[in-house]
Amino acid sequence: MSNLLAADKIKLTHSKKIILVLLIMGLLPLVQALNGQLTVHSGFKLTQLKDIVIDGATSILMIEKNGLTLSVVLLVFVNFFIGEEFQHGTIRNALSLGQRRADYYLAKLIMAAGLTFVAAVVTTVVGMLSYSVLFNFGQVVGIDHYFSYALQAFIVLYLLILANVAVYVAVTFITKNTGMAMVWGFLYTIGTGFVPGVFQQTEHFKFLTNWFTQTYLFYRNLALPAAITEFPQMILVSGATIILATILGIYIFKHTDIK
Amino acid sequence: MTEIILKTTGVTKKYGQHKALADVSIEIRRGMIYGLIGENGAGKSTFMRAIMGLIETDTGTIELFGQHDTKGLQQARRKMGQSIEMPALYPELTARENLQVQAANGGVDETEIERLLTMMNLATTGRKHVKNFSLGMRQRLAIAVTLVTNPEFLILDEPTNGLDPAGIAEIREIILQLVNERGLTVLISSHLLNELSLVATHYGILHHGRLIRELSKEQIAQESQQYIEIELADAQAAIPILDQMQIADYTVVDAQHINVYQHNQAVAQINRALVLADIAVTRIGVTQQQLEDYFLNLTGGEQLV
Repeated sequence: MSNLLAADKIKLTHSKKIILVLLIMGLLPLVQALNGQLTVHSGFKLTQLKDIVIDGATSILMIEKNGLTLSVVLLVFVNFFIGEEFQHGTIRNALSLGQRRADYYLAKLIMAAGLTFVAAVVTTVVGMLSYSVLFNFGQVVGIDHYFSYALQAFIVLYLLILANVAVYVAVTFITKNTGMAMVWGFLYTIGTGFVPGVFQQTEHFKFLTNWFTQTYLFYRNLALPAAITEFPQMILVSGATIILATILGIYIFKHTDIK
Repeated sequence: MTEIILKTTGVTKKYGQHKALADVSIEIRRGMIYGLIGENGAGKSTFMRAIMGLIETDTGTIELFGQHDTKGLQQARRKMGQSIEMPALYPELTARENLQVQAANGGVDETEIERLLTMMNLATTGRKHVKNFSLGMRQRLAIAVTLVTNPEFLILDEPTNGLDPAGIAEIREIILQLVNERGLTVLISSHLLNELSLVATHYGILHHGRLIRELSKEQIAQESQQYIEIELADAQAAIPILDQMQIADYTVVDAQHINVYQHNQAVAQINRALVLADIAVTRIGVTQQQLEDYFLNLTGGEQLV
């Protein structure tokens, strides 16, 4: 697999797509911080419950604030990064050298996970810097050990977003088509943001609400004590999603004919 | 006896009820340039994909470099290079970067890259992205990509597809050079059969997924019929003359052409008889059947493209 990772590294380092992803994830918090300052100048007040990020300390929740945007940007990136291998036929170059399909799949997942991590760090760090400059560092209400909280929150948010990325990777390998994968990936993101709400209204399927990563990414405020106590559940749901998506993706990919 | 590089036994691949490959058994030995011939949809690309492990076969065995189990085949495939249909390249990367990616895929160092770029006449492409290359340049780069991992066995599916005559000749020279200098074994398909006949040493003819004939270059030369081709003013007027000469094995191609078989020594007599009968003969001579004609006869006239 190290061969495949080395090949992917060459592709990524020469790709404009990675620069574009990092540029978006870097500019977004900057624009949001400036927008926040304009809001304050207009006489309004930023509130943590509504705006999620209001100063440097709460910027650790930058991924949560931009959960949908980050998901869509990574969906597009993953679709192109993997889908193009099918569309250009370059997947044959690696597989015909006897590389195992599971290794090929995992190499792509590792690269996508790596980029997701870098994008998450960029958006969080830029957010912290820009919000600290404009609104001071501040604090997260009720948190005594900020560093420990920040580390946990970042890991949880990273895993929640990574669960989406793992699904996008699986969808791309299953559809083998950039356009189709984009549509299905988007439907998954929106659908799993909407469906838990429907389950919440039912009596028998209410428990399923908490088995969707989007429930936490879109609807929880990770600065609140109630959400903080759910961190282990969030890690479990993210891990289960990543594992299930990967097993399904590899299984189908292993039995797929490559054109 | 030279080493067997590829041996397939009874390889079958079905898509629903349609058999894309039906019981295909082929043996390719070291140093052969094996030309795979067949009309569109005959199963050439499917067969090549099966060898490369890109599709699962329903039945049959594939043996590469003496290996036939899953792990052994994976190892053996590291000695292979392939270019199937259109060149599989990264359009946003340069020629050098494409070669670097494939070198990394194969886990080999990059020492061959410079030599390959020079060999394929791509050394001066510099920072130019592959998306801006001509088709000929892409085909040459695709072959370079297959070679960067130092393969012993090359699979080339339609490597001259879409090229102009100069490009076709260039690719042909490259293939012959590779076989002569590196001792490569090649499995190649092309719909340009007369072009293929300039490089291939052996042929396999696939028709509706079945391997209907396998033969060497020498065999095809023997089996290809020679015949007398007559071009004349009135083909119908010549028929009584040929009957008088007790020549029965002939075909009236059209109003001005007749092909006479199995009487190749009788060109002068036929010509004299026709002229004496006051039939104007524009052209007469012995013609060698081309590979394409041989293929069309064998497959009942199905076109290649």
